[in-house]
Amino acid sequence: MNNVVIDIKDVSFNYGDVVVLDNVSLQIFQDEFIGIIGPNASGKSTLLKLILGLLKPDIGSIKVLHSELNNLSGLIGYVPQHITFSRDFPVTVKEAVLMGHVTNQSRFFSYEKEQVDTAIDALQALEIDNLQNRQLGSLSGGQMQRVMIARALVSQPEILILDEPTANVDLKAEENIFCLLKNYSEHMTIVVVSHDIAFISSYVDRVACLNKTLICHNTASISGKMIEELYNTPVRMIDHHH
Amino acid sequence: MEFINSLFEYSFLQYAVIACFLASISCGIIGSFVVVKRISFLTGGIAHSAVAGMGAAYFFAASPLIGAMISAVLAALLIGWIHLQHHEHEDVLIAAFWSCGMAIGILFLSKTPGYNVDIMSYLFGNILLVTQQDVLLMLVLDIMVVGISFIYYKQFLASVFDEEFARLRGINIKFFYLLLLCMISLTIVLMIQLVGVIMVIALLTLPAAIANQYTHSLHKMFMMAAVICLFLSLAGLVLAYEPDLPSGSVIVLLTCISYFMSLIVSKRLKRLR
Repeated sequence: MNNVVIDIKDVSFNYGDVVVLDNVSLQIFQDEFIGIIGPNASGKSTLLKLILGLLKPDIGSIKVLHSELNNLSGLIGYVPQHITFSRDFPVTVKEAVLMGHVTNQSRFFSYEKEQVDTAIDALQALEIDNLQNRQLGSLSGGQMQRVMIARALVSQPEILILDEPTANVDLKAEENIFCLLKNYSEHMTIVVVSHDIAFISSYVDRVACLNKTLICHNTASISGKMIEELYNTPVRMIDHHH
Repeated sequence: MEFINSLFEYSFLQYAVIACFLASISCGIIGSFVVVKRISFLTGGIAHSAVAGMGAAYFFAASPLIGAMISAVLAALLIGWIHLQHHEHEDVLIAAFWSCGMAIGILFLSKTPGYNVDIMSYLFGNILLVTQQDVLLMLVLDIMVVGISFIYYKQFLASVFDEEFARLRGINIKFFYLLLLCMISLTIVLMIQLVGVIMVIALLTLPAAIANQYTHSLHKMFMMAAVICLFLSLAGLVLAYEPDLPSGSVIVLLTCISYFMSLIVSKRLKRLR
């Protein structure tokens, strides 16, 4: 687990005059399951977008899989926090998952048999293969999130990045999704953003606490004092046992 | 019945029917993209900008359809660039293009001697004036629109569905967005003779919006929207023929009524499920 797959060096990023990230450095290793936590507006989603190459850092550099964020399509899977498409968009679950195979070189309507098979495999792994012909907009929050994870997984990425993947789902669905991610983390690097430090600490290998600047901790060393510093407010820490 | 008899007798009616058929194909495909991407207002801006080219073409004694095509494509590229660079003022800028296009067109027309009747057919549509040359131009535009949409179907689908994800898949979303806007311009030109520039937005979007209420797949929406567009334009043509009503207005009115009725029916169907 010593192979660095994401290397963030001295990164700063501003939205206009507002400092969002200040001198952030982080190395993420192969097959690591890391959680990025922090209060609202602490820069978590911005950091993910920088890793994905959707934003460029003002200062510093980010290398993903030893390269400068070019031609990484297919190597990174991404699950967004919010869906950006309309609920009445005419697309079935299977079609949405198959979109994970689309590249600039794709042509015409049909997909190769191998691509269809991997989409079905992903749907089965996420236990939603029975929904494949349903319209995407008719699904519940938890089902929708599984579809988004399946879409990110079909291209068999080396890194999976999830932004608050369980923000709109109930506790049971949240546990199921994190158990599934834990299994995938055995052969894939997973970066997950969450606001729920207590919940994710039992699944992830390491926690990166972000509030403009960043400090990394092993999950065992997370304390109430550390959380207070992070959130700038008194908190009570409750141990969860799953 | 009189319409059927006349259809076999007069070539202008045969051209009108062929024009309905050709326009419906592109209308089904491009209208579906416009509806699911929710860019009807932007499309209206492109359509009305076409008047500038049409007026200029009249002034310089060139083909109004070619003039409309050039100005619509230029407007599409400019509006697309504005969308990509200055997203926050997009609606105001589109409104400016909308009015500017009309104003330029009217200025040119006012300085062109003896316009009037002919230009009215482009502004409000008169399918009975379609010539063999127009049909050929429509066929070429249709082949371009259908060919490009089918070849790059997956990229168009991915980028209208989820722009951010498409970008992460390495799809050049700026290119496909501008390409889509150019195809919208060509489709508008295709449909100008059916319903005219002023009302083209209704026939482009409403059949697709009706289809969207009953389909769960974009390619099925293409087909259903094309069939609805063909049915409505032919029905409008037939209804307008005998009482000698303006065919463009009848087609658009029929389309609007169908859309409102479909809204009620689809809501009732959803409640029953």
